[in-house]
Amino acid sequence: MTARAQPLTTSAQPGAAALDALLAAGRQRRAAGLARASLAAALAAVAGVGLLGLAGWFLAGAALAGAAGGAALAAYNYLLPSAGIRLAAVVRTGGRYLERLWSHAAALATLAELRPALFARAAARDPRRLAAMATAEGLARLTGDVDALEDAIIRAPAGPAALAGAVLAVLLALCAGWQPALVMALGLAALAPAARQIARRHIDTPAAAAREAAGALKAATTAVLAAGAEIAVYGLAEAVSADIAALAAAMDRERSRMARGDARLAGLLVAAGPALAALVALAAAAAGASAALAALAALAAAGAAEAQGSWHRARAREAAVASAHARLAALAEVPEPEANPDPLPQAAGESLLVGGHALAPGGRLALIGRSGSGKTRLLETLAGWRADAPETLLVAGEPAISTGFAALAARFALAPQAPALLAGTIADNLRLAAPGLADEALWAALEVACLADDVRALPAGLAEWLGEGAGQFSGGQRKRLALARALLAGRPWLLLDEPTEGLDAATEAQLVARLGHWLDATGTGLILASHRAAPLALAPARLHLG
Amino acid sequence: MTGQVSGAEPLGHDKPAIARRASFWWLLDVAGAALFAAGLALLVAGWGNAQSVYAGAGAIVLAGLLRAAVQAKALDVGMAAAVAEKAQLRAARLPVLFGTAFSRGRMAGEDAARAVDTIEAIEGLGARYRPLSRAARVAPLLVAGLVALASPVAAGIMLVTLLPFGLGMALAGTAARVSADRQLAAIGRLNGLFLDRLRALPEVRSFGAEDRVGRQLAMASDEVSQRTIALFRVAFVSGGILEFLAALSVALVAVYCGFSLLGELPFPPPEALGLAAAFFALAMAPEFYLPMRRLAAAYHDRQTGEAAMLALSDELPPLPAPLPPAPFAGLQLQAAEIAYENGVSVGPVSLVVPERGLVVIHGPTGSGKSSLLAAVAGLRPLAGGALLWEAGAPAPAAWAGQRPLVLAGTIARNIALGRADATPAEIAAAAEAAGLAPLLASRPGGLEAMLDADGSGLSGGERRRLGIARALASARPLLLLDEPTADLDRATAAALIATLQALARTHALLVASHDPALIAAADAEVAL
Repeated sequence: MTARAQPLTTSAQPGAAALDALLAAGRQRRAAGLARASLAAALAAVAGVGLLGLAGWFLAGAALAGAAGGAALAAYNYLLPSAGIRLAAVVRTGGRYLERLWSHAAALATLAELRPALFARAAARDPRRLAAMATAEGLARLTGDVDALEDAIIRAPAGPAALAGAVLAVLLALCAGWQPALVMALGLAALAPAARQIARRHIDTPAAAAREAAGALKAATTAVLAAGAEIAVYGLAEAVSADIAALAAAMDRERSRMARGDARLAGLLVAAGPALAALVALAAAAAGASAALAALAALAAAGAAEAQGSWHRARAREAAVASAHARLAALAEVPEPEANPDPLPQAAGESLLVGGHALAPGGRLALIGRSGSGKTRLLETLAGWRADAPETLLVAGEPAISTGFAALAARFALAPQAPALLAGTIADNLRLAAPGLADEALWAALEVACLADDVRALPAGLAEWLGEGAGQFSGGQRKRLALARALLAGRPWLLLDEPTEGLDAATEAQLVARLGHWLDATGTGLILASHRAAPLALAPARLHLG
Repeated sequence: MTGQVSGAEPLGHDKPAIARRASFWWLLDVAGAALFAAGLALLVAGWGNAQSVYAGAGAIVLAGLLRAAVQAKALDVGMAAAVAEKAQLRAARLPVLFGTAFSRGRMAGEDAARAVDTIEAIEGLGARYRPLSRAARVAPLLVAGLVALASPVAAGIMLVTLLPFGLGMALAGTAARVSADRQLAAIGRLNGLFLDRLRALPEVRSFGAEDRVGRQLAMASDEVSQRTIALFRVAFVSGGILEFLAALSVALVAVYCGFSLLGELPFPPPEALGLAAAFFALAMAPEFYLPMRRLAAAYHDRQTGEAAMLALSDELPPLPAPLPPAPFAGLQLQAAEIAYENGVSVGPVSLVVPERGLVVIHGPTGSGKSSLLAAVAGLRPLAGGALLWEAGAPAPAAWAGQRPLVLAGTIARNIALGRADATPAEIAAAAEAAGLAPLLASRPGGLEAMLDADGSGLSGGERRRLGIARALASARPLLLLDEPTADLDRATAAALIATLQALARTHALLVASHDPALIAAADAEVAL
């Protein structure tokens, strides 16, 4: 069965099995939809082959009968073929429409399950092992990879369609004799390896090279943009653009090679139809078939070759789909069990040891040091986001780096230096902290973070939509929103990374005062990193880094 | 070549001549189709006569080869047109994007990176959609004209099907297009949501919210997929109409020709139709709608390409002219203030930079040190206060940042980026003064040693020194250095500071840094 050739189950690297399982689960549930789409595609292909073949047979037969006249004419049943032609026209149209609709439905439904499933897999992993995937470039590629898989599912019915068209064409050729049928079968069978050969030789290599060149172009662009001041000061815009344009031209050369490979494949498929029609006609002549049956076989050959085209074009993309599959598989990798699965179920009433400072529950510590000295690294190591802080960090006697992520997450609420906000409402962002929070609790946290007035001033208040990366919020507002969110999480320890950066002195003083009250009232502990004097007043104990 | 990138020009018109050549090849494909149809007619009508059968078969094979060559050529020429257009857009836009990236801030840098991607998105439009679109306006008429030579009535039948086609497209096409665009937007939003939540994954996990966010994603995914399918039902209708009329025109031609050959037409025969003519018309019938079907298959190219063209149609700001050379005799900042877009401001700051000496601005990260340097370099406006030049006019300054620019080429080329007409002797002197001697000694070829675009193989300290050598080669008396010792180990930093102290005897150095050793080495310091 040609559907077996689907490229979605080919990769053999770690994680591939997990992704295949995800896809297979989706596909099984959508099997009925894909089967319907394949059936519709097969019907459309059969109708397409039949339409041409039948029309050829009808015309040639009609000419003979018309020329003979009299009895031959009276005996010629023209109603059946002419009705068949009209039926084939309708079936081909309907089949194509339903194939598109059902294959898209199957792809969409599969991917509607794949996206959340991929998210769940990624979320099940320890973030300390997630860093490589979470880069902006990795994420940007993810969309393209998911699209490539979607495309592969949409094109899956092309296989059954090609097969059905080929079977009908061989059967029709059989009417003209076994010789044309044999020629038809051999010709259609030879098309597959020929197309494969072109794809392997002339498409796969330049496609991989083009992907690589695109990566080099992106990296060079990023590097050049980082040196924007030099470019402006020395007037280097033209020189730099010429270099980037040269890299882009190198990519275009590979893409042009790939396009030539595509054109070569298209050429093969275009030439195959007429060539096969001519060979089949000659075989029919050798078999002594009538003109009508020869026309039937020859036009069926042309139709069948056309039906093969979309399948071979789909197969030419297998290499690209396989590499998308491999990247997604890395994301879907089965989570390994955490090194130390939560040895610390008790989260409250514990003490910490941070770089030589013992902190009792509710204790406070400020981290001091120039930038680059590792303040953020220390906070993020405690939060379980990374594991590379050189300081001794003990959580209830256990080193933080060997403590399970869940155990750290239950103890620490981090308001990071560059917080990630969700594309969603302000309330969505705050409610991330804990399930079932009432509006009153949200407002109270916003008050402490000195953001309540800003939110009240927004047209929709808590329901105000923040775009991707919370574009319309300033850096300071974003940090205060992240602070409010950390307060709402209700963890025994609060980790704050430069909480007042970008604030004016008055707001900063107010924030520090309110935060102090909140810490006193809730008995929450605090570890704070800051360059600025005002927030350091919250924590008399100092740890000097660097 | 028009080089037009402004929005004043309607999309898709007046493109380079090479694009028209691709359309020409698509039109020539009709000749191949006609040869195929003629060969088939010869073969069937002359059935039983070996000579005409072989001649017919030969013509058919030849037609296949001709069409393969012509179509491959059309794709190739189309791609060449798209590549030419992309190169033209890059030449017009990249210098401005790179030249203004710094003064427009970090977001502008991201914009520029995106703009590079956007230029790539027009490829399908230029390579496929546009040539096909131009060909689709003429090719069906060409097909009908050729068919008319054999059977004017069959040609008439084809043309008549254009009527319901146009009507159906007008009715369903607009609705289909709107719903297809809406569907594209919905899928885009879903992708955005997915990426957004993945980006925030550390936060999501820290708050134990992965299940809630996962459920929300599943719901959104499901909703979008349901809604998208509803949209597809409409969007695919225009494709269905095209398919139906393509099939119908074949069926109508076949039935007409068949009944005409039988002599059973329900009306007086309008023409005397032979078998050869009938077969020619039949074989040409699928070609009538083929250009439109090819065009429909390139619809996605059109959508992404036109969205990209729209994004590229904005008016670019002019590339700022570099400062003309001027003598430097010292400068003063008086109560200078710098405002950021989010309302935060730096200053007021006052400082004096004498004609020679090392002045360090220090202060915590984010306190605006780099912005002050940028203001002195003329890359940022002052929101308040004044920048006074002792010699009367602003002197162009040299700049060396934390991660100096490295372009593919020799070390000498990279140093000479500061001044294109620097002589080899000046370049060598600049390298020496910047302390690059150990690097040059370690590389075969010295100044002629090659660097690649990402400067791999250069240590952090060597890269900084390369930036300083470039600044010296520029022969500008004022050097602006942004965190020259950040992230360097202590010994490397100490050596670099010694180099800066030596340079300060002949140049004015204004340095932004929070390195205590560098601050201690300064002739003057300003705290922010």
